[in-house]
Amino acid sequence: MNGVHDLGGMHGMGPIDPEANEPVFHDEWERRVFGVVIATFGGGNYDVDQFRHAIELMGAANYLSTSYYEHWLHMVETLMVENGTITRDELDAEQAKLAKEAA
Amino acid sequence: MAVVTADMVAELSATGASCRLDETATPRFSVGDHIVVRNINPPGHTRMPRYVRGKRGVVQRDHGVFIFPDTNAHAQGEKPQHVYSVRFTPSELWGGDASDRDSIYIDMWDDYMDLQG
Repeated sequence: MNGVHDLGGMHGMGPIDPEANEPVFHDEWERRVFGVVIATFGGGNYDVDQFRHAIELMGAANYLSTSYYEHWLHMVETLMVENGTITRDELDAEQAKLAKEAA
Repeated sequence: MAVVTADMVAELSATGASCRLDETATPRFSVGDHIVVRNINPPGHTRMPRYVRGKRGVVQRDHGVFIFPDTNAHAQGEKPQHVYSVRFTPSELWGGDASDRDSIYIDMWDDYMDLQG
């Protein structure tokens, strides 16, 4: 699909600014997303082509304003709901519970 | 639910999962072939970047047989086919002002290309 993910050749994205001594994860939640994806992907719940396409289907503004591991989180939520392992209601309820605990 | 076991984690973390297939498929191209990229604009998944569509390149290397992402992403089968490293010149992709001291190599599936006519 001719989505915003296909950035090759586009102008106006700003300079590429490699981080000195970049850590593997910038925050604990990134480490957890990585773990969830390894567990679900490695367990055969989806393949790499479904993985990539789920990220391509993010809305353009949302895609460009979110980070690498936020894309992974969007992917795993989307595909695990699509394949019926979890329901959207369960996901929403858990997120609401976590938001309440964090408040 | 399918599970991942501890002994699978190291390889998965290091390499991801390979899409190479242990199958034979008849290659449509050979090293040295001059190709032109198909101008396809599928609404679904593709691994072909927009900026090579309709462009001309030369096959540099045959990587072997792989799953075809454009069908596999949509449960339409693995459609095993060869993937090649194809060389494009900067001026072919970006026009006459681009430096031809560089080369752009892109992995291309059989279904993405035709021989230059």
